[in-house]
Amino acid sequence: MKNFSYVRAASVKEAVQQSGANQAALFIAGGTNLVDRMKVFLDEPSHLIDITRLQMQRIEPTTDGGLRIGALVSNTAVADHPDVRRNYPLLSRAILSGASQQIRNVATVGGNILQRTRCPYYYDTAFACNKRKPGTGCPATTGINRMHALLGASDQCVAVHPSDMCVAIAALDAIVEVEGPRGRRQIPFTDFHRLPGDTPERDTNLEPGELITAVVIPPLPFAKSGVYLKLRDRASYAFALVSVAAALKLEGDRIQAARLALGGVAHKPWRPTEAERFLIGKPANTATFQQSAEIALQGAQPLAYNGFKVELAKRAIQRSLTISANGGGVA
Amino acid sequence: MSNVIGTSVSRTEGRAKVTGSATYSAEHQISGLVHGYLITASVANGQIRAIDTREAEKAPGVIAVFTHKNAPKVFMPKNDFMNSKIYEARLPLSDNQVHYAGQIIGLVVADTFERARHGAHLVKVEYDTQTPLIDAKKVTFKEAPPQFGEEFAFAKGNIAAGLANAAIKIEATYTSSTELHAPIEPHAIIAHWQGADALTVYEHTQWVAGAQRTYAELFALPAEKVRIVAPYIGGAFGCKAVPWPHAILCAAVARQVKRPLKVVLSRRQMTANAGHRSETEQMLRLAATKDGMLTAIAHEVKSYTSPVDVFIEPCTGITPVMYTVPNLQLKQELAVMNIGTPTFMRAPGENPGLWALESAMDELAWALKMDPVELRLKNETREHQRKGLPFSAKHFADCLNVGAERFGWNDRPMQVRSLTRDGKRVGWGMAAATFPGLRGRASVKVRLLPDGTAHVLTAANDMGTGAYTVVAVTAAEVLGIPVEKIRVEMGDSRLPDGGLAGGSQMTASLAPAVTAACQEVLKTANCTTASEACAALRQSGRGAIEATASSAPGAEMKKWAFQSWGAHFAEVTVDEEIGRLRVTRWVSVMNIGQVINAKAAASQVRGAVIMGIGQALMEEAHLDPNTGYPVVYDLATYHFPAHADTPRIDVAFVGKPDLNFNPIGARGVGEIGITGVSAAIANAVYHATGKRLRSLPLTPDKLIG
Repeated sequence: MKNFSYVRAASVKEAVQQSGANQAALFIAGGTNLVDRMKVFLDEPSHLIDITRLQMQRIEPTTDGGLRIGALVSNTAVADHPDVRRNYPLLSRAILSGASQQIRNVATVGGNILQRTRCPYYYDTAFACNKRKPGTGCPATTGINRMHALLGASDQCVAVHPSDMCVAIAALDAIVEVEGPRGRRQIPFTDFHRLPGDTPERDTNLEPGELITAVVIPPLPFAKSGVYLKLRDRASYAFALVSVAAALKLEGDRIQAARLALGGVAHKPWRPTEAERFLIGKPANTATFQQSAEIALQGAQPLAYNGFKVELAKRAIQRSLTISANGGGVA
Repeated sequence: MSNVIGTSVSRTEGRAKVTGSATYSAEHQISGLVHGYLITASVANGQIRAIDTREAEKAPGVIAVFTHKNAPKVFMPKNDFMNSKIYEARLPLSDNQVHYAGQIIGLVVADTFERARHGAHLVKVEYDTQTPLIDAKKVTFKEAPPQFGEEFAFAKGNIAAGLANAAIKIEATYTSSTELHAPIEPHAIIAHWQGADALTVYEHTQWVAGAQRTYAELFALPAEKVRIVAPYIGGAFGCKAVPWPHAILCAAVARQVKRPLKVVLSRRQMTANAGHRSETEQMLRLAATKDGMLTAIAHEVKSYTSPVDVFIEPCTGITPVMYTVPNLQLKQELAVMNIGTPTFMRAPGENPGLWALESAMDELAWALKMDPVELRLKNETREHQRKGLPFSAKHFADCLNVGAERFGWNDRPMQVRSLTRDGKRVGWGMAAATFPGLRGRASVKVRLLPDGTAHVLTAANDMGTGAYTVVAVTAAEVLGIPVEKIRVEMGDSRLPDGGLAGGSQMTASLAPAVTAACQEVLKTANCTTASEACAALRQSGRGAIEATASSAPGAEMKKWAFQSWGAHFAEVTVDEEIGRLRVTRWVSVMNIGQVINAKAAASQVRGAVIMGIGQALMEEAHLDPNTGYPVVYDLATYHFPAHADTPRIDVAFVGKPDLNFNPIGARGVGEIGITGVSAAIANAVYHATGKRLRSLPLTPDKLIG
C-alpha cells in the first residue's frame, strides 16, 4: 500500500471540491473493496476523502411512491428496510445473496455500485490487465475465463461486474444521483456502467470528481412479484456464475410488462431489452419464457471455459420468469 | 479410575481460543521484531535476468532486500524424513532459476509489515522465459519412484485373465482437481536468533522435534541450539509438517539482519508456496462374477509434481486394502509441471484413491443390479493383500450395517430418478472410508503435584484437532483425577519428543506414552492411586513426583495390518434445470478402535466430511494455462463449504479397542472422515439423476449438461 493522506469531508460540496483538486484522490466509505484493492496495489491513491459523515444515510419515500436511497446507506439496511422488502423484494434478496453479513453491514450502496470486477487477472499485478494498465493485454481471454463475460465484451476485457444489488437496481430502472465539480446530475442506472470497448479501465460514466449521492428507485407495483435468482459454485459467499432479476406484470395470463436483468454475464448489469419487449403481450408460459431466454442470450460470445453459462443463463431466465408469473418468491 | 476415556469432553483450550489468548505463530510479541515480505516470480519457467532492488531499498522503513544475488547461507539438510525434512528440496534463492509462478525470488525486510509489502512491490524483475509445462495433456508421465521407501507398482494373480473371464466389467476414468489446504491460520513464522548460534523459531509445525533437527541442520547448529515454539496451530491438514522455503528464508535472513523477523504469507502466496493436493487422473478396471465376487482390479494413477521436488499422490495404497480380489494390478505415474510443490493433504492417496475406487464399486453395483452395501459386504477382505497380514480389530461390516440402519438405507429404491422432493431430484449414495492405523514413537513427562493436579508435558502439538484434550483425558483416566486438574503443555521442543502430528497418528502415538508416564509416576510414588500419591507428597514435603516414559510400535507391526474403517451415507437433492446440487443428509459410521474423546472424535469426522463436501462440490484451484499460476487468490475465490452447503452430519462409532495396536486400543481419526465422501456424493447424484459424474468437483456446469 502506498502512503496516502486522509481527510474526513464535512459536506458533499467539500468532498467534491477536495476530489476535483486532486487527480489521485479517491472517496472512501465502507472500504470493503477499495481497501482490499489498495493492499494489493490495484489502486494507489495519494489521497483518501472519507465521506462516511455526509448526510446521505437515509432511505426516504419519493413523492411518486418510489424510494430514494442515500449513497451511504449500508447494504444491510437497504435489504432489511420494510419498504424495500414489501415493494422491491428482488432488491432485498439480491443484496442478501451477495457477500457476507459482516461485509454487507459495512458496505454502502454507492460503494456496491462502484465495486470493481473480481477477475483474477485484474486482481493480481503478476498478470497483465488492460483494466489495470491500459494496453498491457488481457490474459483472461486465453486464460481461465469460467466466470467471465458472455455479452458485450471486447478483446480488451472480458471481466464481469460482480454486484448482485446492481442487477436488481438495473431491473428496477433506477436513477443515480451524482454531484460533481459541475453540479448535480441524474444518470439512468442502465447508462451508469460501461461496456469495456477499448477503454476497459473505465467502469462507469462518472466524471472525475463526481460523487454518488443517492439511488432513486421509481415506483413499480409489479416489482412485488420480482425474483432474484443467483446461481453459483457454493450456496453462500460466492460470486454469481449467472444471476437474474426478473419481474412480470400479468393481466390474466398475458404479460403486460416485464423487467429482466442479468448478472455475471457482462461488464455491467445487463438489461436484455429485446427479450423484455418480446415478452409484452405474450402468454405467460414456458414457450414464451424459453423464447425470451433465447433472445436474451442471442449475442452471447462464449470463451473457452464459460460456454456452459449460456445455457445456465437461459435456464435461470426461464426459472425466474416462471416464479415471477406465479407471484414471485424465493428462487 | 475416572472412566473418562470415551466420554465427551469439551476442549480444554477452548476458552483460550475463543477469547483470543491462545497465541498463534504470528502473534508472539517479541521486542525489536521486524517484518519480511516475499517477492515472488510472475513467470513459471525462466531465469531472472535482472532484479532491481534500488527503489525498494530506498523506500521508508526498508531495512534490507535479499535476492539470489545476496542470499544468506543455508545448508541442505539430510531431508530424509527420519532426521529432518523440508518441503522443497531446492533451498530458497539458491540461483536465478524460476521453476513455477509464485516461486519466492526475494524478501524485503522493513520495520512494519506494510512497508515491507510496499518495498516488495517496488522491486523490478526482468526474466528470460521459456514456455512452461502447464498443460496436463502435454506433459510426459513416467513411472512414479518409490515414496518414503515404498514402491508403487504391484501385481498379484493374472490381471488379463481376471478381466477377460469376468461376467461384468467396469472400466472408467475419474479425475480430481488441484486442491488447496486453506487452513484458517495462514503460514507464519517468527525467527529469533540469540546471537549467531542459537535460534528460536515460532512456527506452527506438525512435527516439533523434526523441525528442531531440520532448522539445526539448515544452519549447521547442534539441535539443542534450536528451540521450536508451537503451542497452537490454526489447522494444517499436511501443509505445516515441515519448513517451506519462506520459513527457511525467514530464519536465514533474521540471522543476517540480527533482528527477530516475522514472515506471514498472504492467501495469494499460499496458493503457490505452501503446497496443494495434486490433481489426479485414475483409470479403474473392475471385473466381477455374476453374483458380485470381484475377480480383478486394475488401478492406474497419474499425478503431478513440481520441478524442484517429488511428491506423488499415492492413490493406489488403498486398493489392496479394501476388497478381496485374486487379480490385482497397481500403477502410479508422475509428471513434472511448472507448478508449486504438492504435498500431503488430509488422507493423501486414500482420499482421491477412494473417490475413484468407491465410484467404480458403485458403478459395478448398478451393473450387477446389486445393493452397493451388499457388494461391499460380499467382497470385504480380512487381510491386507499387499502386506499379507490379517487386519486387527476390523469392524467394517458393522460400519456398513449400522450406517445403513441409521440412514434408513433399506428404503432406497433400486432405480435412478425414482425420488423427488419439492420439484428436485433426490438421491441416496454411499461409500466406504478407510485410513491406515499409524503410530510413532512418543515421549511424555508427567508431574504430579501435592495439590492434586498434574502436568503433562510433551513436544507434540495440537493442530486444532483436540490433542490437548486427548492428553488430558488419558492422564485423567490413568491418574484417576478430574480432567480440569490436568495441565497439558505441548508444542515446545524443550519438552520430550512427542512425535509427528500427521498420518492421524498423534492420538495413537501419544495416548500410550501418556498412560505409561502416568503409570510410572504412580510406581515411583509406590502408590496405586494419584490421591494416595498426593497425600504422600504432602506428608513428605516433596515438591512433585515426575516420570518420563516413551512408547513406540513394536513386533505387532509384523503380525497385523492396522487399518481404520468407515462408511458414509449421503442424501443429495439436484435441481437439474439450474444445476444446483445440495447435500441434505449425512450419516458417517467409523471404526477407529478406542474413542478417547467422543465429542472431539465426532467433530473430527464432521470437519472431514465438510472438507470432503468441498472437494466433491466446489474445491478447484484452477491454474492459468499460460503461467501455471493459480487464478484463485483468497478465500472468496477458492471455495470450500459455507454453512449453507453443510447438512447436519450424524456420526457414530462402532467396534472395539484395537489392543493389538497399542495398549489403549486407539487408532486415530483425523483423516478417515474425508475418505469416500466425494464418491458417496457422486453416487447419490447418480441415484438422483442417472448421470454418472467422474470429474471433481461437481459444479453446476457438470450438472446441467
